[in-house]
Amino acid sequence: MREQLRTLRLAAWLGWQLETNWASPWLFAIYMVIKPVTGSLMLVCMFYAARYATGGKVPAEFLPYLYVSNACFGLVGTVTFGLSYAVITDRERYRMLKYVFLSPAHFQTYFAGRGLARVAEGTVGAVLNIAVGLLLFSDMRQALGTTGIDWLWLAVFLAVGVVMLWAAGMILAGACLNLSRNGMFLSEGISGVVYLLSGVVFPIGVLPVWVQWVGLSLPTTYWLEGMRRALMGPVPDSAPILRGPLATWSNPELALTLLLTTAALVAFALWFWRWNERRAWRLGKLEENAGV
Amino acid sequence: MSEPPVHAVRLFFAAALARSYARVAWLFRSRTWMVQETVLPVLGVCAFAYSYRAMAAPPEYTGLVVLGASMTTFWLNVLWGMGAALYWERDSGNLELFVMSPAPMMGVLTGMALGGMTTTLVRATVIAVAGVLMFDVPIQPTSWTLLGLVFFLTLAALYGLGMMFASVFLRWGREAWHLVNLLQEPVYLLTGTNFPVGAIFPKAVAAAATLIPLTAGLDAMRQVLFRTPGIFDVWLEVALLAVLSVVFFVCARWLLARLERRAAEEGKLTVRWQ
Repeated sequence: MREQLRTLRLAAWLGWQLETNWASPWLFAIYMVIKPVTGSLMLVCMFYAARYATGGKVPAEFLPYLYVSNACFGLVGTVTFGLSYAVITDRERYRMLKYVFLSPAHFQTYFAGRGLARVAEGTVGAVLNIAVGLLLFSDMRQALGTTGIDWLWLAVFLAVGVVMLWAAGMILAGACLNLSRNGMFLSEGISGVVYLLSGVVFPIGVLPVWVQWVGLSLPTTYWLEGMRRALMGPVPDSAPILRGPLATWSNPELALTLLLTTAALVAFALWFWRWNERRAWRLGKLEENAGV
Repeated sequence: MSEPPVHAVRLFFAAALARSYARVAWLFRSRTWMVQETVLPVLGVCAFAYSYRAMAAPPEYTGLVVLGASMTTFWLNVLWGMGAALYWERDSGNLELFVMSPAPMMGVLTGMALGGMTTTLVRATVIAVAGVLMFDVPIQPTSWTLLGLVFFLTLAALYGLGMMFASVFLRWGREAWHLVNLLQEPVYLLTGTNFPVGAIFPKAVAAAATLIPLTAGLDAMRQVLFRTPGIFDVWLEVALLAVLSVVFFVCARWLLARLERRAAEEGKLTVRWQ
């Protein structure tokens, strides 16, 4: 256990160094703010464009819904993409994957550590993103200030969410162990699909019914709903457009469903990783270099 | 060593053709990648289209999203396929071979651009056609010829900019990857990938943003396709794109010569994994 914790700590440190030490701390801080904030500002511009085009008929509550969802979803992209990209950079770029595999460090724990570094990076990005939103938009201040942040539920959803993101990242990283060329784009593509099906920038009630069911089978849908509620409270009656199929669910119901779907995801991730690790070792994929 | 003019021109085209062949051949040799590169982005586009639908925005707004997503593929190709290309070639050990060979580097870059354009055109077409069909986007172009001209000039300016990036990024190490990453979301915002820039940004900001070819190109294409009001008149944007194409190409040529020399002096042409 101590050995694994040491691997976890050192891998997280290595991951953090790889992500951050290419620039001075100030430059890196600017990078951390600009990327997520401009992504959110694009959604804000879409909101104002639609409001302008409809003569102000879009409810003001739509803006914090978009903004908070997108800021939280940044974590999904950062962790899942980060983990799969760690496989690719270690194998293709630094050519260290085979040495990590040969070393006494537990291979899976090493990637869990790399994932932790991405969680830290994603959390800082999401917090900064929401802080900028609060600073710039009164609708955001109103949405987060009316009911106040429910810190207890926020902690619950964040804790389960981190495990869910790690599991999702391990599934993609496991697949990347056996994908020589396509791995880099797999997580980006999957991230786009989850962005659609989890209703990040619109309530999933807008989707065709059968697509809603696909969305409701994803833990990210429950996680985002939980995070929105913990930060902004339930959807107000003045914005019925934002009420999706989960609007009538209580927080414990949401948390329990998130927990169950996450448990299923973790079980699958553990099996899938082992299967991929064994296959990659057998086929010599751990040292295969595709020049990407 | 300098080549006689006729030989130099032949060498330029041979290098461009050889480099573009590698990119086009990829289309046929990596079909799974192609599926991944077309089907998955289409699903991503749907999110923004549904967002506008949820806000009950007019149907042409969905058209803006589809057009934006389609043209964004070229921007991504310019960044990753052109900007970061020489940096990646250095990592894989090809750059020193390119530099040592008699083939001119501008020919190599032109080949990268032509090959990249061809493969990206397939992706962009799939996204555009799928988006238009799935969301029933109303298209009423004022002129197909004008649309073609704007599209061609946008690509010329974009890939000229990509050639400039390629030489600039050659100077960098690990920063190049992060810089390319950083040039995505802020550019999507400035160019109005999913919304009409002219209606949201102050006039001065919108005008400044047209210096990015994607802004002027998208704005002009929207005016032609959806008859929406733009930042400037379409013909003014056409002229701007033509000027940007020439300026970027000339700057790329100058920068490439200068930075290639500087990278050689600093021993960065063969440095890897930094």
